[in-house]
Amino acid sequence: MSPSTIHRDAPLITAWSAVSPFGLGREAFAAGVGRGEPAHEVPDFDTRKVLGKAGTRTFDRATGLAVTAVRELLDEAEAAQSPIATGGGTALVLGTTLGSAHSSAGFSRASFEGDKPYDVPAQLMPNVLMNGPAAATAIRFDLKGPNTTLAGGAAGGLLALGYARRLLAADRAERAVVGAVEEQSTTREWLAGLAEQPLGEGSVVLLMETARTLPPGRRVLAELLALDVRLDIDDDPARALADVVREALDQAGATPDEVWAAAVTGQPARDQLAALVGAEAVDRVPALFGDTGSAGTVFSLTTVLSLAEHDPTATGRVAVIASLDHQGLAACAVLRLTGGDR
Amino acid sequence: MNEPQRVVVTGIGVLSSIGNGVEEFTSALREGRCGAGPITSFDTTGFLRTFGHEVDGFRPEQWIHRLPVEQLGRATQFAVAAARMAVQDAGLDEQELAGLRAQITVGTTDGEAAELDKMMAESVAKGPEHPADQLVAGRLPSHQLALAIARELRLPRAVPAVLGTACAAGNYAIGDGFDAVRSGEADIAVVGGADAICRRTFAGFSRLGLVSSDFCRPFDADREGLLTAEGAGVLVLETLESARHRGARIYAELLGYGLNCDAHHPTAPDQASVARCMELALADAGVKANEVDLVSAHGTGTPTNDITETRAIREVFGDNPPRTVALKAMLGHSMGAASALGAAASALALAHGFVPPTVNHRTTDPQCQIDCVPNHSVPADLRVVVNNGLAFGGNNASVVLGRHDEELVR
Repeated sequence: MSPSTIHRDAPLITAWSAVSPFGLGREAFAAGVGRGEPAHEVPDFDTRKVLGKAGTRTFDRATGLAVTAVRELLDEAEAAQSPIATGGGTALVLGTTLGSAHSSAGFSRASFEGDKPYDVPAQLMPNVLMNGPAAATAIRFDLKGPNTTLAGGAAGGLLALGYARRLLAADRAERAVVGAVEEQSTTREWLAGLAEQPLGEGSVVLLMETARTLPPGRRVLAELLALDVRLDIDDDPARALADVVREALDQAGATPDEVWAAAVTGQPARDQLAALVGAEAVDRVPALFGDTGSAGTVFSLTTVLSLAEHDPTATGRVAVIASLDHQGLAACAVLRLTGGDR
Repeated sequence: MNEPQRVVVTGIGVLSSIGNGVEEFTSALREGRCGAGPITSFDTTGFLRTFGHEVDGFRPEQWIHRLPVEQLGRATQFAVAAARMAVQDAGLDEQELAGLRAQITVGTTDGEAAELDKMMAESVAKGPEHPADQLVAGRLPSHQLALAIARELRLPRAVPAVLGTACAAGNYAIGDGFDAVRSGEADIAVVGGADAICRRTFAGFSRLGLVSSDFCRPFDADREGLLTAEGAGVLVLETLESARHRGARIYAELLGYGLNCDAHHPTAPDQASVARCMELALADAGVKANEVDLVSAHGTGTPTNDITETRAIREVFGDNPPRTVALKAMLGHSMGAASALGAAASALALAHGFVPPTVNHRTTDPQCQIDCVPNHSVPADLRVVVNNGLAFGGNNASVVLGRHDEELVR
């Protein structure tokens, strides 16, 4: 029998960063949220210019975005004199939809177009696999803990948070860098066809820690109080969303009037969410990047954290971060905004 | 803080090149059957080597009752069918299942990449302006593999997740289910791995020179490489208490697992890190190295893997390591399903008291100093088995299973 124990304390969000359509890093993101103008593509993102030529020759865009987001997170923490330890105690959990569609399609296409069907660019094979970005990030920053790529579509970011929470509860890591990456590409556009919303891209990462391992002086931005998932099996996705939001609030011991900010990504469902937690909370969070797949919920959360940074009335109140995908899978996280303290 | 629950395996669903369903799979493991043959799923014209391991006799409608079978990709069909098998094998009817909080985690390497291959063939033939078939494009998000299980089994409170940790994904998924059940977050876990054979991955391994000309011969001095494969392995996990309460048959206890990342090289395994992963798993399971009776190796049959893994095993277990078998000789390399099938085989080996062999074996490579139980299974009183899954990207996962003494099978 396993000798370890299960921890029940709420995981803490203590830092975040992003490579987003607003540019590189947390400050650029927060500034863009302040402006509130939608954007969809990470501007001027050339992986080899951003990360240098060493070790990046085979990186595709998704890998470049993920590695850069984690670099920003680590560098910003270092600059704030609150560095993040790497090595075996640090897990990396990244959400995705299907990895890099562009790399996969290119590799497959090469097999059909080459003189021989095996004339494929073998050095790019890691990009074809969904774990390419997470693996490259681990190599770059010596992240030797659990390294997990979770495919969840619109729910991917929240499912990644839930997965990371399980890792920390079971002591499989002391801290987890958790987030998601989605790249923009002609292939993704081709696959999306006549999509109802524009496609967006980026990589966004949170640092999840626990009170047990929190280094002194670390700011606590939010506590993950509850996370739940509900699948619509009765052709009533709005009800699945309502059920999961109510259930998550209930688990969190929070009431709708405590909700300061709320967002839902995936299918358009702002009105349904507003009916549950109030229009004010939903209106507070602008939808900025279009469909960013698994990164959508994590971008929602960092948008809320950016806004809360400048609004003392947020402290102590609650954020509801939800997703509803086209398959009727609804997910919802409830976080207590802690305003940088405990 | 709470005491974790003990977690047991009470259902197994299997699709493989050596047999579908737990009974056929068990006999095949005992007999040392090899499922290699010429690949038929895609046109292999122009490839120098054309063998692989495919699932034969798969009738999806036998297992998939609610979802429109023809609209699902093959990997999703595998995942759903194996999940249905596992749940039935566990003796759970739909009424019992309906109210349960289930963790459904499926590992995969390629997801529905075979569908993308077909789209690319069409795009090459018809030109880039030809629009993507939206029905097929809708199959591509890998999340389908778990979502379809929840939908088919009508589990509205299930948490469906797909782990894309390449060839270790099955073990990753089993570990996730273990944590969800032992913490009480889920009442039951339906976890494992699924992959359908696909051209692009076959092309990649071919180009890398890792595909064998005839059979996969792990630990053999003349091994040439792997054979790509398809299949699915799904386990039902629940607490010991729940299994006892239901009077369920228990195949084995899941004792623990370990995960780590080499953070070293995109494709080459790192011996120290692989050893560390097994040590993490043993510590998690509360098992000493000398208590392990069998290692079900990742054992791909490539020159590099087998040497590195053997050395890592000797690093952990010393100069007299436990018997170490490579099921890929029988099953091929079924990617994300591989370690899940390995875990299923480990549970069956513990329950039935035998060691499945490493088939196709001629002469052991002197650089692979282990007893690989060549060609013929042997009866054995097993107590603890370690099942390895290693992946491109340095994603390692080891699962530890133990015999459940209270209620041995049959």
